[in-house]
Amino acid sequence: MSGETKNGTPTPPGQNRAGRGPQVECAEFEALLSDALDGEGQLSPARRDSFEAHRRICAVCGPLFADAQAGRQWLRSLEAVEPPANLVHNILAATSGVVSTRPLAATRDGSAAPIGERAREWWDSFSASFFTPVAAFVRQPRFVMSFGMIFFSFSLALSAAGVKPKDVAKVSLRPAAIRHAYNDAQIRVVKYYDNIRFVYEIESKLRELKRANTPAEPGPAEQKENRKNNTSGQPDQRQDRNYSQEYNQPVLAALRAGAPITPVLGDGVGDAAPAVTVALTATTNRRFV
Amino acid sequence: MEEAQVVGLLVRRCVGGDAAAWEEIVQRCHRRIYNVCYRFAGDSENAQDLTQEVFIKMYRTLNTYDSGKGAFMTWVTAITRNLLVDHFRKSKGDRITDSLDSAPSEHEDAQPLSERIADRGLPPDAAVQSRETREMVHLALQKLSPELREAVILRDLQDMDYREIATALRVPEGTVKSRINRGRAELARLLQRTYRQVI
Repeated sequence: MSGETKNGTPTPPGQNRAGRGPQVECAEFEALLSDALDGEGQLSPARRDSFEAHRRICAVCGPLFADAQAGRQWLRSLEAVEPPANLVHNILAATSGVVSTRPLAATRDGSAAPIGERAREWWDSFSASFFTPVAAFVRQPRFVMSFGMIFFSFSLALSAAGVKPKDVAKVSLRPAAIRHAYNDAQIRVVKYYDNIRFVYEIESKLRELKRANTPAEPGPAEQKENRKNNTSGQPDQRQDRNYSQEYNQPVLAALRAGAPITPVLGDGVGDAAPAVTVALTATTNRRFV
Repeated sequence: MEEAQVVGLLVRRCVGGDAAAWEEIVQRCHRRIYNVCYRFAGDSENAQDLTQEVFIKMYRTLNTYDSGKGAFMTWVTAITRNLLVDHFRKSKGDRITDSLDSAPSEHEDAQPLSERIADRGLPPDAAVQSRETREMVHLALQKLSPELREAVILRDLQDMDYREIATALRVPEGTVKSRINRGRAELARLLQRTYRQVI
């Protein structure tokens, strides 16, 4: 209908022909509403007249205009809020990692700057590109925890070993002193290891097992013979063990009538008069160093 | 030197690894971004988190900024808006307000809202002076749908023009105008209801 708007609002007769330009309808009214309120669209006087005419007569667009105008006023009454003081600091820490707050000359031309300023800028740039990733990695909680655990472990181990910070300062770095310290430390470690009861017991058991499994060795005479025939040039092996085994052999001694009993050591095997058998067992005493 | 040139120079220096240029960009933009986030999210704590997220994303994507496609501030606003919408979806706080197309309630008459408020002794000019009223407006703003809210924030609080808003929101300019009108009117209706309850 030419005499009604889209919403059915009757148009006053003759209004469209009164020289105010084309009639504004509801859809167009909404499109012009923001321009009319904000003044951005630069409505022509004729257009504004048509707009105002529609606002006055339309039951929908009139309230819409009033609401939009009131809402705009309220919104523009809101003031800008001040950000928290630490916001910039937090942003820089979360992004570049550089938290300096020195004043900047953003518009300065870099080529005209003095050498000192340029050097400082270059250093800032270099430190930002090099140190920042390192600093960001170091600040990771995982890295901090790992570093703490390593430090704690080292401290514990050093204190258990008896190392004191004061001793470190007295350490001589001459080669002879270092060699001497190395030998001392080696001796201490060997002594400590050998004196462990558990190690000692294990070694004894092994020795006994070997002894039990070793076949009877030839007599000393044969050994002497073997030694003479040995042309390999190798030194006698396991001499100490043979030494103890020699004295582990039962010794048979002959006891004449009326003679005092005298223990015989060494080669008593040849004297075969088995009246009394004296078994002497020579034991080796472990030498503790 | 114009503002756009200054910002362009800062961006180039920052992309080249100049930490001081980045700090300058942060100093220039943080207030504006924080205000957008605060008005959209509604509280300071969320606004701080969102502002930091905006700058983190900006820092990572600064080399993708093309000055030929638009102003730096429009680019920043687009990033902000995208993050705000993401945050809004995650928080599931979506609250769609009543459409202005719905029929007016029986309590409303055809009288313009400004006149109705004036009748109740609360002229907008006087009401907006008080802190309580500003807080009420801020709360009412949170009740708008995200589309309407972002449009009125960018227009009435950040003074962006329609074209910039359309670029930032990636919608046609006509849609921007429609959303601004509906957002303003919806806000007025919400405040009108609030005043009725108070009175």
